[in-house]
Amino acid sequence: MQDTTAFLAADPAGNIFEVADLDVYYDKFQALKKVTIDIPANEVTAFIGPSGCGKSTLLRCFNRMNDLIEGCRIDGTIRMEGTDIYDRQTDVVKLRTEVGMVFQAPNPFPMSIFDNVAYGLRCQGIRDMKILRRVVEESLKKAALWEEAKDHLHRNALKLSGGQQQRLCIARAIALEPKVILMDEPTSALDPIATAHIEDLIEDLKKQYTIIIVTHSMSQAARISDKTAFFLLGDLVEVGETSEVFHVPRDTRTEDYISGKFG
Amino acid sequence: MKTLPIRTSYLRRKKIIDLAARAIFLLAGLIAAAMIVLIFVFVAGRGIQVFLPGYANAQNLGEFLTGMRWRPDLSPPVYSVLFIVINTVITAFGAAVLAFPVSVMTALFIVKVAPKSLRLFFTTVVEILAAIPSVVYGVFAAGSITRLVSGLAAAFGYTTYGGSSMLAVILLLAIMIFPTITSLAIVSIASVDRNLELGSLALGASQMETNFKVVLSAAKSGIFAGLILGLGRAFGEATAVSMVAGNKMFGPTFNLFDTTRTLTTTMLSGLSETAGVDYDIRFSIGVVLMIVILITNLLIRYVKKHIGGVTNE
Amino acid sequence: MSSRRKFADAVRTAVTWLSTSISVFVLAAIFVFVFSRGWKTLNWEILTSDYHPKNIMANVVDGEPGQFARPDDLPADAVFSERYGFALTDAVDHQKEKQMVLTYIADDSPLTAAVNAASGPTRGDPITITEDVQIQRIDYMSIERGRKSPAGFMGSQQTAAETIERLEADGESLIGFYYQSAGGGMMGSLLATLMLIGLTLAIALPLGVSAAVYLHELAPKNRVTAILRSLIEMLSGVPSIVFGLMGMTLLFSVTALFGITTQSILLGAMTLAVILFPVIIRQTEEALLVVPDGLRMASLSLGSSRTQMIFRVILPNAVPGILTATLLSISRVIGESAALIYTMGVAINDKPEIGRGGTTLAVQIWTVMTGEQPNFELATAISIVILIIVLILNVSVKLVSARLNRKWRT
Repeated sequence: MQDTTAFLAADPAGNIFEVADLDVYYDKFQALKKVTIDIPANEVTAFIGPSGCGKSTLLRCFNRMNDLIEGCRIDGTIRMEGTDIYDRQTDVVKLRTEVGMVFQAPNPFPMSIFDNVAYGLRCQGIRDMKILRRVVEESLKKAALWEEAKDHLHRNALKLSGGQQQRLCIARAIALEPKVILMDEPTSALDPIATAHIEDLIEDLKKQYTIIIVTHSMSQAARISDKTAFFLLGDLVEVGETSEVFHVPRDTRTEDYISGKFG
Repeated sequence: MKTLPIRTSYLRRKKIIDLAARAIFLLAGLIAAAMIVLIFVFVAGRGIQVFLPGYANAQNLGEFLTGMRWRPDLSPPVYSVLFIVINTVITAFGAAVLAFPVSVMTALFIVKVAPKSLRLFFTTVVEILAAIPSVVYGVFAAGSITRLVSGLAAAFGYTTYGGSSMLAVILLLAIMIFPTITSLAIVSIASVDRNLELGSLALGASQMETNFKVVLSAAKSGIFAGLILGLGRAFGEATAVSMVAGNKMFGPTFNLFDTTRTLTTTMLSGLSETAGVDYDIRFSIGVVLMIVILITNLLIRYVKKHIGGVTNE
Repeated sequence: MSSRRKFADAVRTAVTWLSTSISVFVLAAIFVFVFSRGWKTLNWEILTSDYHPKNIMANVVDGEPGQFARPDDLPADAVFSERYGFALTDAVDHQKEKQMVLTYIADDSPLTAAVNAASGPTRGDPITITEDVQIQRIDYMSIERGRKSPAGFMGSQQTAAETIERLEADGESLIGFYYQSAGGGMMGSLLATLMLIGLTLAIALPLGVSAAVYLHELAPKNRVTAILRSLIEMLSGVPSIVFGLMGMTLLFSVTALFGITTQSILLGAMTLAVILFPVIIRQTEEALLVVPDGLRMASLSLGSSRTQMIFRVILPNAVPGILTATLLSISRVIGESAALIYTMGVAINDKPEIGRGGTTLAVQIWTVMTGEQPNFELATAISIVILIIVLILNVSVKLVSARLNRKWRT
């Protein structure tokens, strides 16, 4: 396993996550092996690699959604702005309001558009309609869905197209003012036009949020990410500036993957 | 950085509510699961109590289990269930013998033979039969079936006690368990792998031959499950049977036109007090009933395993 | 194919047709029997009146005779009083006992204004004498004797004709009527059934849905949970009469905590709730299964607690399943008899209360059929009511299930 310390961000104060020696097991199977990586703030970091390499597993660690999987065990630490998020004292619910998630298949609730975006807020006890309306509008605007949705806020979200639903899910996550947005292959279920919309959106969003995106599409990673991390069979093989990883990869495995020899 | 007014007091309350709600859900789950155990403990407890020394009119367990008379009118009263168990088994199995073929053939008809447009009609017939409450079946039996039996008896030169007879009970139970067996048979036959059928047809068998030789064998597991359920219902049916059984005080009854007595009719007859031997003995009968059902279940499963055949699992 | 095989095939097909015809025939026979015997008995009176007849003593306010014309539509066997404007008919009840029924009251007859003459707190209260009551005695001022005299069949065994003749000839004025309100109704049982349904659902639904939520959403997927599930499934193999026994031991002590010392609707409701557990839990779990997992992930990733997820996202989507469970439960409650015979008793109660026993419609059938003389008329009439309700419920279940399946297909 390669020593990745050389690839850590030059300025450690700008990291939002610091992962150190992370092992993740699903029962007896080890999905991640001694992963050490820093995620810089306000940048787009892409995780790439073939199926089953562990990239989604790592993503799910950041908001502790892995806790929901039976038999999942963690060794090592993940620090968010200095605090270990796997510490016993950690309020998982609060963590999830700081670290939002967008899933591969859009999963809006069978409720109105308004209620979808307001859901997270209501779960945190915010009931004032003035505040809710303001936040819903801001979030939909940031997710580039406001113009299309503003006259139909009470229509059922399931009636939106796939791309619109995914933007709704982004708006829903943004509504909680998270610091980080995790995206697990957010465009793999969408058509090319919708995909392009989301990619533009990600470009905008990174000014305000840190984005970690898992993607199967190398071209997508090359297009939108600042940093790229390549995983293979549970190992973090290489991580660095996207342009370097794609044009002058240091590891032969990385080179093979990028040139399409496997995956 | 956050502008949202999230109150920590709300968050604290939310956590407490979450823990409390989860505890309540868990409690509900445990209560529901505990019920079967409690039923067993309390019913068996009170039923066994009757035979223990120290009980007011303690009964003799041996006599209870092996005797052939049920005479609450004597003093001291005599309570024996062996003949009742025999009656119960005869009537239940008799009903199953009648109902099983009709049920399976009807299920086969509905799934494979009936024209598609009529399928809904026939399925509804079965569902309605399944939904009719026992007391209504009892009224029907007391009004119609008994008359049928009297007529039949007269034709053969027997007399009946107003039509209340073992035959009436068997006919009634057969009608009542028919929808139970049929519904399960329908599900089972409908889920037989189409490829099995196609294989048989491709070998030159006709549809009906395939139905009988391949489909029914493949559906065996579900059909037997239906039989077990049906028999369970036949054993446990109380109010309807009570209206046409006659409650003979001794036995067992082997004559179709003679009155009979089953475990359940005994549990319902002469309910006057809610304490004392006469009442508590019903709990003992309840235990016997559960044991009979259990043994029958195990027996049928054993038989099914040794008949073999294609399974759908 | 050989003709022998063709013949065998024809026989097989014929056997299936025959079997199905038998079942259709049986269903038809049941309906024909129930409706033919019960339809004529079933009327608004029976639905709304009590089972136990009430004895009523009513005095007319103004018993002066007048002039009344016999209405054309009065049946020939009704004897009409031209001076007092009412008609009596001889009749026989289902136990073959003689009765005299008040079959007609003219709009301006003295009978229309009467007061309660029975001693007690309601004495003097206005009372309405209605048609179809059974007359025991009519008091009138006798011209011949100069004092109050009785007519009617209590004591003197007069027929309708004789009674009216006496009143026309000898009656200076009417004083009062002693009669029995028609009994043989099912109102009490109808009320008891409704109360039982409400109470049973109130106990069974929260418990059952909660148990299903626990098993599906919160319980770890291990052997213990599997055991819990089987324990609950085992309940469906127990005959309902055994539940009645359990009710009288275990649950009876619980109702005692409420101060109830006899069989009661509450006890019946608790017993039925236990019977319904497997049904409700199974239906609810099926409804929970249909909710896509993605919604659970979405909710939790937005910072909801598990409880918030359950109440805000999952349960609202499980409503059709829970509704189905409710309808099936109501159907079961209406049809149940053996367990209630033990826990609610068999005494027909015209004024049911939660803490007292009574009969539901089904148990009333049992009671009137196992008396001295089985009352087929009333039993079949009640059966019609039950059958109609159960049919409606079953159709509703089908409609709700269809909607449940459609929802997730869009």
